Amino acid sequence: MHPRVFDEIVLPHLDAAFNYARWLTRNDAEAEDVVQDACVRAIRFFSSLRDDNPRAWLFTIVRNTWYSRVSRRAHVAAGAALSDEQHQWPDDALDPEERLLQQHTVAVVRAALEQLPVDFREAIVLREIEGLSYKEIAAVVGVPMGTVMSRLARARERLQAILMLVSSKETLS
Amino acid sequence: MSCELVGRDLDAYLDRELDAASSVALREHVMACAACRRQLAQREALTKLVRGAPYYSAPDRLRARVLAQSSRSNSVRRVLPWAAAAVLALSVGAGMTLWPSASSGGNVIADEVVSDHVRSLMANHLFDVQSTDQHTVKPWFLGKLDFSPPVVDLASIGFPLVGGRLDYVGGRPVAALVYQRQKHIINVFVSPEGDDRSPRDVVLAARGFNLRRWSHNGMSFWAVSDLNSAELGEFASALRAS
Repeated sequence: MHPRVFDEIVLPHLDAAFNYARWLTRNDAEAEDVVQDACVRAIRFFSSLRDDNPRAWLFTIVRNTWYSRVSRRAHVAAGAALSDEQHQWPDDALDPEERLLQQHTVAVVRAALEQLPVDFREAIVLREIEGLSYKEIAAVVGVPMGTVMSRLARARERLQAILMLVSSKETLS
Repeated sequence: MSCELVGRDLDAYLDRELDAASSVALREHVMACAACRRQLAQREALTKLVRGAPYYSAPDRLRARVLAQSSRSNSVRRVLPWAAAAVLALSVGAGMTLWPSASSGGNVIADEVVSDHVRSLMANHLFDVQSTDQHTVKPWFLGKLDFSPPVVDLASIGFPLVGGRLDYVGGRPVAALVYQRQKHIINVFVSPEGDDRSPRDVVLAARGFNLRRWSHNGMSFWAVSDLNSAELGEFASALRAS
């Protein structure tokens, strides 16, 4: 192994790995621990990096690291279980999309995202914030592409419902 | 295309993951259907909103730790055979001590100090009390130690105090004061002088870290950092003079 290869190929994605871990864990300190552990594994398994997508590869390791920590602690974050219920957002006569854009601050969006079940949150973060393709998400999460698609759709519906709820509460108060 | 199908494919369409033919069909339907148009607008607004969500960048200390880890794994692999040879060569020159005054226990304490330093960085337990204010850090130790460590901020000369914590050296609780020089963390371990039989003035390098040990006003000080030896010396002199 070329001595600087890991630093050059994987380390540029450290921010991305941390961002992903931070959204998974919703906690700075834990995200740091997860990424640190993940990087130790990544260094060890660096020779197994075959494809040309070190970022997705690192995400996969971050994800596995986090899940093994969570299962070791034997409690999965609240709300992690997926629900198949379909959410209907309120049918509103006003322009809800306009209201969304104008009213929601970054803090509100963050709080809404953090409320989502982890699988939904993860799909949205990988897609919207990290900009991964469905195929890449499927590889990281380990599910078929069709599942990625439906999960994203449901995640967005849920997120939209949460934000609408915030909007209506704000309007009432 | 039906409204139901639009609902199913909307996200893939927005994500540019829908095949060309379906995309055209979806666009045609949306042009003609106000309800679907609104749904699409909502999703687009949502997407825009979510892309403005916070992006969490890796903290510098995490980057430094990972870098250290990767270079260590490289250097271990490359250096190990040489290190073995070096140890062999050293043991031939029997009686030679790697540490100054090894007999006085200085090496043991120095090694422990380095381990404490590394652990504080690795285990993400740098502070029990995080403050740049010496008047916050000093009282924090009250009741936790049977001595009161001197706490001064050296921000004026580029070594800001960033916090403190309890740590253990030589099996006894000591005050660990944390200073920073740019990205480098400096741990200063303070204990009553009588507890530490190390040589009074020590300049050491161990495991890639620099160490300074001195005594002042009945207290023993160990400073350890990955900061270069010259700057750590400057820091030690300033702390001693304060």
